[in-house]
Amino acid sequence: MTATKLLGDLLRERGVSRRAFLKYASYVTSLMALPPSAAAAMADGLAKAHRQAVIWLSFQECTGCTESLTRSFSPTLEELIFDFISLDYHETLQAASGEAAEAARHASMRENKGKYIVVVDGSVPTADGGVYSVIAGRTNLDVLAETVADAAAVIAVGTCASFGGLPAAKPNPTGAVPVSELVRGKPLINIPGCPPMPQAMAGTIAQILAFGKLPELDALNRPRAFFGETIHDRCYRRPFYERGMFAKSFDDRGARDGWCLYELGCKGPVTYNACASLKWNGGVSFPIQSGHGCIGCSEPRFWDRGGLYRPLSAGTTDAGRVIAIAAAAGVALGAGSAALARRRSAATRALDETRTKQE
Amino acid sequence: MGALTGSFPGATPTDVAAAVLSEVADRLERLAADPGASETIDLHGLPLTDAERDQLRQRLGQGEVDARLEIVGPTRITETAYAGVWWLRHADDDDRPVLEHIVVARVPALLLAHADDIADAARRLRAELDARGAPGDPA
Repeated sequence: MTATKLLGDLLRERGVSRRAFLKYASYVTSLMALPPSAAAAMADGLAKAHRQAVIWLSFQECTGCTESLTRSFSPTLEELIFDFISLDYHETLQAASGEAAEAARHASMRENKGKYIVVVDGSVPTADGGVYSVIAGRTNLDVLAETVADAAAVIAVGTCASFGGLPAAKPNPTGAVPVSELVRGKPLINIPGCPPMPQAMAGTIAQILAFGKLPELDALNRPRAFFGETIHDRCYRRPFYERGMFAKSFDDRGARDGWCLYELGCKGPVTYNACASLKWNGGVSFPIQSGHGCIGCSEPRFWDRGGLYRPLSAGTTDAGRVIAIAAAAGVALGAGSAALARRRSAATRALDETRTKQE
Repeated sequence: MGALTGSFPGATPTDVAAAVLSEVADRLERLAADPGASETIDLHGLPLTDAERDQLRQRLGQGEVDARLEIVGPTRITETAYAGVWWLRHADDDDRPVLEHIVVARVPALLLAHADDIADAARRLRAELDARGAPGDPA
């Protein structure tokens, strides 16, 4: 039975040595900005873990999250995550279909009771009894409740599952809600992004497996390792921002010379994600490096915040969440943003402390 | 101006590299005092441009050891001109660098065979010999 074998022994039979565990752990600890000395402990933890049963539920979604996880890795080191988990149910990827697929889900839930991880992509429609998204005659609401009942933890991947995303955008005709509004009493991790960064998904699962506990989360249940800093914090164009050098249109000289895209609507200063440091497509680039401002796709209600091309200084319709930065030119903006970041950090800390006290 | 290269226009090219070298010197002194020490500097998280990383690599020079490892993609471990200072470069199958480390230790842990792998190898070799008889035995 492969289920009872430790990952180290299981994978050695396939020619994967403990050196490979150490190399993978070095990679993940580097992604998560953990001290390099943590790699040995993570490699040990992974080798002594059992293969993790994962049930992946897809609701109101576009399959972009799955595309992000499965297609952005070259077939080597990063793909090891798929050897560490047993993906027992995933409508897009599994070979089985129909009743056989549902039987696989139920079998995994039975055999791994209390131990399996449920990954959800997509929001869940709640209006009119949940009839707006139904699989084999059962509403998403129903399938989610049934599947999470015996789960060890739930990971909401993508902005739809984490915060409602596009389906929940105004006027939200289906009553779409994030997973956090439906799942109570279970550890829940949000990995937002449209799509989320594959490193954040894989790194979070690897950390849970290796250390047997959830990673450190922020007030919105996001792993701090990947969502601890804003895009702006790590943006290579930041020096232009500090000097007040802004592109004014997408084809002016500033844009061509790589100046800051703040005035063209970049949401980098209020968007917590790791795109600027980890980048996309194997580290090739990220939106700002390709000349387009950040649209803040990993933040709650990003679609309803007043236009992708409106500068933050113009304010947003969602003023309760995003503190508008006073319109000012040049270097003064840097001070404004730093103050904003401090206020945001303080607010996050305060929320965390409140939450800790409640627990 | 490096619009599409991801370089840091505000930093002097040698700022970060000089800081890394100073850190390496500190850790090497510690290793000299305690041969059991092992420290790793992760270059991935530092705002180094490709050019700066190349400069740093050249500055540290070449030592006696140059090891190529095949561990789910190629890894190269080279000793620098400073004994005890190693450069690790992990790549994927397309030789795209996944991460680079400077390790200050007598030998990087990744070069050592793991005890579990050794135990498995010992069992495997013994079982093979038992099954086939002595080397050269036609039976």
